[in-house]
Order: sequence, then C-alpha cells, then structure tokens
Amino acid sequence: MTQANAGQPHGDRESQPLLSVRDLQAYYRTSHSGVRRGIRAVDGVSFAVRRGEIYGLAGESSSGKTTLIKSIAGAIKPPLEIVGGSIEFAFLPGYGGLHRAPRAEVERIRWRHLSYIMQGSMNVLNPVRRVKSAFVDFAYPHIGGGRKQFEQQVIAHLARVRLDPSVLAAFPHELSGGMRQRAALALATICRPGFIIADEPTTALDVVVQKEVLGMIRGIQRETGSSVLFVTHDMGVHAHITDRLAIMYAGRLVEEAATAEIFRDPLHPYTKSLISSLPRIGEDAPRAGLGGAPPNLADPPSGCRFHPRCPLASEMCSQEVPVMREVAAGHRVACFAVDRDVRA
Amino acid sequence: MSDLLLDVIEVGKTFARGGLLSRETVVAVNKVNFQLAAGRPEILAIIGESGSGKTTLARMILNMETPTSGRLLLDGSDLAAISDSASRLAFMHKVQPIFQNPFESFNPMKRVERYLLMTRRRFAGAAGESTAAADVDAALHKVGLSLKEVSDRYPHELSGGQLQRVAIARALLAAPKLIVADEPVSMIDASLRMSIVNLFKTLRDDLGISIIYVTHDLATAYYISDRIMIMQKGSVVESGDARTVLKAPRHPYTHQLREAVLLPEVTSAAPNITPSINGLISPGAPERTA
Repeated sequence: MTQANAGQPHGDRESQPLLSVRDLQAYYRTSHSGVRRGIRAVDGVSFAVRRGEIYGLAGESSSGKTTLIKSIAGAIKPPLEIVGGSIEFAFLPGYGGLHRAPRAEVERIRWRHLSYIMQGSMNVLNPVRRVKSAFVDFAYPHIGGGRKQFEQQVIAHLARVRLDPSVLAAFPHELSGGMRQRAALALATICRPGFIIADEPTTALDVVVQKEVLGMIRGIQRETGSSVLFVTHDMGVHAHITDRLAIMYAGRLVEEAATAEIFRDPLHPYTKSLISSLPRIGEDAPRAGLGGAPPNLADPPSGCRFHPRCPLASEMCSQEVPVMREVAAGHRVACFAVDRDVRA
Repeated sequence: MSDLLLDVIEVGKTFARGGLLSRETVVAVNKVNFQLAAGRPEILAIIGESGSGKTTLARMILNMETPTSGRLLLDGSDLAAISDSASRLAFMHKVQPIFQNPFESFNPMKRVERYLLMTRRRFAGAAGESTAAADVDAALHKVGLSLKEVSDRYPHELSGGQLQRVAIARALLAAPKLIVADEPVSMIDASLRMSIVNLFKTLRDDLGISIIYVTHDLATAYYISDRIMIMQKGSVVESGDARTVLKAPRHPYTHQLREAVLLPEVTSAAPNITPSINGLISPGAPERTA
C-alpha cells in the first residue's frame, strides 16, 4: 500500500483520513411567493474515509445519499445549499469543501486526485464523440508528455479492465453496458487518483457482468491504493467490496462499522431489519419487511427520524436526536436503545 | 373448460431491425413452452438478464405483443382470437399486469383513487355504483392499505412501496386468475421490498391467484416461487422446481447466474473478492467492439 502511495510521500500524513466530513448539513431550499420550504436531505453527517479503503454508503431512495455525494463532489446548484459543516480533502486543505475552492484549484484536482464512476457512464462519455476524446479531455492535461506516449499509457490501462484498444475509436453507444462501465472505470483511474467517488457503478449491469466489474474496481483500487467512497443501495454489493460501511436513513447516518461486523452484528434497529429482510438462496424461513414508509424529508419526524417505524422506540426517541456514539472499537451507532444496552 | 389456465405452445417472437437495405431479424423469444394448471395457483418465476426475452414473453402473455409463431391459450381460448372490446375486457378480467416502476404506471396528475374507481367501474359496470367505494376499500385492504390512507393523494405523495401496493390493489379489482408482474420489486426500497414479495405469497395462498414473476433477482425468486424458468437469449435453458433448480443448477448458464449472486454476508475477515491483478494486467482475451 505504501508503495502504491509513492506519488504522495507523506509518511506522517499516512494515518490521517483522506476525506473528513464534519457535521454536514445540505438542504434544498425553495421560496415560492414568500413561502419558504426546506428539505433537509443531509442533516448532520460526520464520517472519515481513510487512505486505501473502500468506504461504503448504503441507504434507500430519499435517504440523502445522492445529496451527500453531490456535496462532496462540489456539484452544488440551487436549490441545494450547504447550510453547515465542512468537507475536507487531504489534497485540498483549508477550503472546507470543493464548492468553496477556487476554480483553478478544482481544475487541478479533478480527475488527478478526485474522480468519479457513475451509474450511467453515458453521462461521463460524450455520446457524439469517440471514447478516445474523453481520455484526451480529462486525463491528458494531467498526464502530459507526448501524445503517442499518452496513447500507449491509455492502451495499457485499458488492458487492466480487459478492453481492446479498438474501444478508443468507438462511440459510447457502440459498446455494451458492461464495456462502457469498464471504459468509465479506466477513465476514472488512469491518473491514479487518491479518491474515487463511485455512485451505484454496477446497478445497471447484469449480475454476471456486475461481479466482473466489481472485481476490477477492487483490483485497480488495491493496485493504486486509492480511497473509494462506494455508494449503492444493494447490500450484496457492499458485502462483496467495501471495507467499512455506513448506513444512512432519512438524511443521517445511523450506523458505521467494518462491513463484516455490520453484517454479522448489526446494532441499529434499522440496520437489523434491513439485513434480516434480505432473502438468500437456500434459506426458506419467512422474512418480514419493515412496516411503515421512509419519512418525508420536508417534514421529518422529531427526534430520531426512525422512531415511527422502530420496534424499540421509547418516549425519548421522539424528542431528542441520538448522536453517533462509538459502542465498540470502530463501531458507531446513533440509537438510544443501543446506548442503554451498552451501558447496562 | 380446459384444465390449463395458461398454455404457451412453441411461442416465438422476432423483431426486424435496420432499414431497407440491411434488414436483420432479432429473435427475442424462441419456441417457449410452458403451462399453468387451472385451480392450482402457483408462482412461476421467469429469470433472465437484460436481452433474455423475459419481458417480451411477459408482454405476449399480457397480449400487449403478438407472437410471430406459436400459440398462447388462456383457459383454452387463443389470445389471437381477441379482436373486439368485449373479448379484450373478458381477457383483462382474467389476466392483470404489475409493472416495474409504479410512478410510471400512474398518471402523476391524477389522484390514485380515481384509477381504482375507474377500474372498478370498468369491470363491475355502473350497476353497483353505490358499493364502488366499499369495493375499492376491500381491494386496498387485501394489500394492507385502506381507502382512507390513499384518498386525495397524488402518486408522488406515496412511497414506491405504497404505490406498488395500490397498483396491485388495482389489479385485484378485476378479480384476475393470473397476475403477470414484470420486475415488480426492483424499484422498491429494500426495507419495503419484502412486504411486497410476501404480499404475492398471500395472493397465491388466500386469493388463489397464479403469478408470473419476471425478474433478474435469483434470491427473491428462490424465496417466493414454486417453479422457475431460466431464459438466455430468448430460449428457456432450464426449468423446474425453484428449490431444485437454484440449489443444484444443471445448465452451465444457471450455474453462472447462481455463482454471480452476491450474498449479503461477508464470509471471511477480508472482503470476499480476491482480485487477480495478474489476470488483469495480462488479459486473456480483451473484448473488442462489435
């Protein structure tokens, strides 16, 4: 791993997180004829992504995970606003987030230090230009050197994701979904960035292809030592690829631990029901879904946002907001009932 | 009457692609045969990846697509004979669809109960108008909702899980014998998914409705289905008892699908992917563009 990080020879900084998010609040605010409405999509989220790890973020639709990664990637457009908190990248110190950094700084780090793999790679690849032009546009300014040499480097990198050099001359629509996603992966990793944001990168793929692409993401990540923020709603994918996992519910984190521990010993009632509801081939026991529905973030429940659906809810849960507390080494949970159990 | 609810005989569908000069045909479904017995409700899962023809097959059963070869018999009568609105209504009485995205199945500008009332009027006629609300309420109760909960609501005001339940309630108003559900839970959040999946079991056991469950998800198929059909490139490659097929697959493709399912558990201390970096650097056969 240290070998892979040779590009950034800061031994003392090795132990520091590459990304730390502190108490982030990102709201959608609208104002129609004097009526102000706010959707508290991300409300007080704190976590850190270490060097060389794949950090998973799981959550359902409208849990705020997309807003969270938009904020981290600096893709903030009205009505989305960062209301509070800070986002600190180790390679972009002092600004408190990409959205506050000057344009030149953002240009410097994009693709070189921070890159993206999205669900629909059609959105990264220009549909009317050949795949090659994406590499030239995004990666060439950072890699430089002769064009011939650059092309050789691209071809060598494409071989890592088992793509033939002929894809460079193809248009995105000529590639299959899996090939396109692998091309996007090659594009995201060719500059050996320190940090990769992967937003549902395999959700649109068929299962067989999905497993293959996940293996490639893991392989390249091991080789380059990049940190990955891996967002998906699919718990099977998390179990397969992430090192640590955070569970998000209604705009807040509810639990965070090593992925194996989350699956073996989930503590938060939401995580528990989420994991126990997953069907497995070979197991015939009936599985119950969770009652109720995720809350409306324009008018979230008071206190713990999970309390209306929670089997362990008490008086206190509807009044106070539980904070993320470390209940075992590296295992953080935001739940009063779990706190009571730990103290007892 | 026939003792078969649905008889699919050598059904095939080809699509033509290309223009005047370069015409090629794509075989979406290739000679598929299967039966559903009448009076013995079951859940049949049709499994396949994208492009396997599973949705085209489902659309043919729903009479939304006409087969280019073979015949589909429902209760002994050929779907090809449906020509006028009376026979179409009779068909819809027996077979109802559930689609993947409930937000696309409902008009966002209409309140959801309007759909339910319209559907009810369609199937019961104007005669029992006085019991309309009660009938709709009864259908909603079968899916764990009530008219009070959904009245005056627009689709966006309900969660995906609730709206999919409303879609199922709408289908139940026709008192169908068969429901064809195309990926009904893949858009539904994980915490709500199992309650919808369990609902299909209830429909089979309590209401005696047979269900054709079209999906790519082997785990939920294993959980709810009695029988399973695996499709690859338009053909059925393996079929049989769901437990037998998924526990001990015989066809290499079924085996491959089964192996690719990501288990929701971490088996060893390290994540259960072992990257073969060597394999990545020296590729066996790099993929070319078509």
